[in-house]
Amino acid sequence: MGSSVSRLLRGPAVLYLPAALFLLVFFLVPLFNVAWMSFTEPDTGFGNYTAFFASSFDVGVLLNTFKTAAIVTLISLIFAYPVAYVAARYGGALGSILLLVVTLSFWTSFLVRTYAWMVILGVKGPITAALIMLGWSPPPQILFTTFASTFAMTHLLMPFMILTLYAVMRRIDGTYMRAAAGLGARPLKAFTSIYLPLSLPGIANGSVLVFITCLGFYVTPVLLGSPRDKMIAGRIGDEIEQMLNFGGASAMAIVLLVATLGLFALYSRFFGLDKLWR
Amino acid sequence: MTKSDISGVCSPEQAVSTAATKVSRRSFLATAAAGAALSMPAVRRAVADEKVLYVNTWGGAWEESAKEALFTPFTRDTGIEIRTVAPVSFAKLAAQVRTGVYEFDVTTLGVAELGRANQAKLIAAPEKSILDPAKLWPGAVVLDGVASHAFGNVMAFRNEKFPAPGLQSWADFWDVQKFPGSRCLQRYAGRVIPIALLADGVAPDKLFPMDLDRAFKSLDRIKPYIRVWWSQGPQSQQLLRDGEVDAIGMWNTQVQRLVEAKAPITVSWNQAVVDVAYWAVARGTPRSENAWRFVNYAVQPEPLAKFSVKNDYGPMNPEAFKFIPEDKAKQLPTWPENFKNSIVLDPAKMLPQIDEFSKRFDQWIAS
Repeated sequence: MGSSVSRLLRGPAVLYLPAALFLLVFFLVPLFNVAWMSFTEPDTGFGNYTAFFASSFDVGVLLNTFKTAAIVTLISLIFAYPVAYVAARYGGALGSILLLVVTLSFWTSFLVRTYAWMVILGVKGPITAALIMLGWSPPPQILFTTFASTFAMTHLLMPFMILTLYAVMRRIDGTYMRAAAGLGARPLKAFTSIYLPLSLPGIANGSVLVFITCLGFYVTPVLLGSPRDKMIAGRIGDEIEQMLNFGGASAMAIVLLVATLGLFALYSRFFGLDKLWR
Repeated sequence: MTKSDISGVCSPEQAVSTAATKVSRRSFLATAAAGAALSMPAVRRAVADEKVLYVNTWGGAWEESAKEALFTPFTRDTGIEIRTVAPVSFAKLAAQVRTGVYEFDVTTLGVAELGRANQAKLIAAPEKSILDPAKLWPGAVVLDGVASHAFGNVMAFRNEKFPAPGLQSWADFWDVQKFPGSRCLQRYAGRVIPIALLADGVAPDKLFPMDLDRAFKSLDRIKPYIRVWWSQGPQSQQLLRDGEVDAIGMWNTQVQRLVEAKAPITVSWNQAVVDVAYWAVARGTPRSENAWRFVNYAVQPEPLAKFSVKNDYGPMNPEAFKFIPEDKAKQLPTWPENFKNSIVLDPAKMLPQIDEFSKRFDQWIAS
């Protein structure tokens, strides 16, 4: 080992090493393996990719996945922002209770919460009962619709958004807003020109987190949505478990990865990815 | 599902590239290789003459009854310890033959999977010295799978919606004019397509090769009335119990729980589409001798009877009924009275069409 390495081993960079090794072994190597399979199984070449893009069904599933993730991200943001704002800005008992409620939901698994929505949104559930009581007859079907799966995914992912926003908002100095008010800005003006820009890193962070997590959703759309709500993770699972088509499934996974990275490149171009780490 | 749903949360590429560029490449690779070697014990390198056998199970109630009826007695008689790996994964079976690292030696496969596994050379032919197909009942071994137990895809419906006699056949199930109400079927091509053909009037003995155009035309007719396509066993039970759907095609094993709970439902055995679970041994496993001894044991009348009864499966070995009280036997798919009105799916006959109908069904259902 050269002296540069031994110097490095005493420096703070060595702290990266365990994580880097872990990621190399458990992330990069398998990822490389997946990429490799997509070009070599069952035949060498681009066959799996041409098959994917020739199938309007598969491309449709991919587009639907991105569309769903975008919608879920947007709705979570709209609902999460006020919650995080209240918790961060007013703190105290209300803030603690809000955060406690948000954190509590992490104690129950995604699957259990998905099943809970099946009960709540079902024909014998409280929502339908309430609609009937209000004179809505026959009541609309809620379960097994795109609405139900989008709604449940938003619920499952909103805590991530709230906590990320809260982490950023807590660091925003409250005196800025008082200063703005002191200088005569109305509350809305003060919010849009001071608070909102300062909370942008939280918005960027939370959106990216929710968006990516949503791309991998699998069971929730199957259990709550209509058959049209197929997401790409479900397709990848089917190809492997039912068809034993490792090459095709790998190609889908790589397309998903590349499309996601491509989207981030665009995002970075227009909004600046550096906001994520600021 | 939780794991897969929340994976990809971080952005790991970032961290790795930062560290990798700062450490010299060679030392980095050497350390990484060592790390990879150390992390491997989670996957077992097989050793030939171990007194142990790894069985891939469905977990839960399935594993519990298998333990009681099959695993524990087998260990007692042979001294071979059985360790279980759950849940059943077809993909894992393929992966382990490909890599030569065996996580399990024995698994169960359904009709559609057996054909595929045999074609892809994932499973081994019986070792005749241990399990001789000629010494079992006729038709016991198909495509190297040993028939174990069967479950019926039966029709069940809510009594208040369809008073007696209610739905009698799949044609009735399809007849939404005469029997208005919501329907539900499994999201599984291998069972739904035969059902669709039966509903369209195809005679059971003319089912194969399946006329797929006719099947999908038949499916088009019922599609608007299918409220949901179920995908998990317990889900089908919940849908019928809660009245979410009025009539459903589901497994006899699941609907039996509702019958026992005195739910207001009727189960019709007529035209049940019967699926069979086959024991299969992973090709190339060094513990194949233990594996075949176990499979041979598991299909013997007495242990098989015990196992089947626990979960309401139908034993495939006819001798097993000698060990099952008649009132219980009547609820099982392979009981002669039930069996004679059933259609048994045949892996060899389904195999040539399997890729085509699976793909077509996936696209059809999402359209």
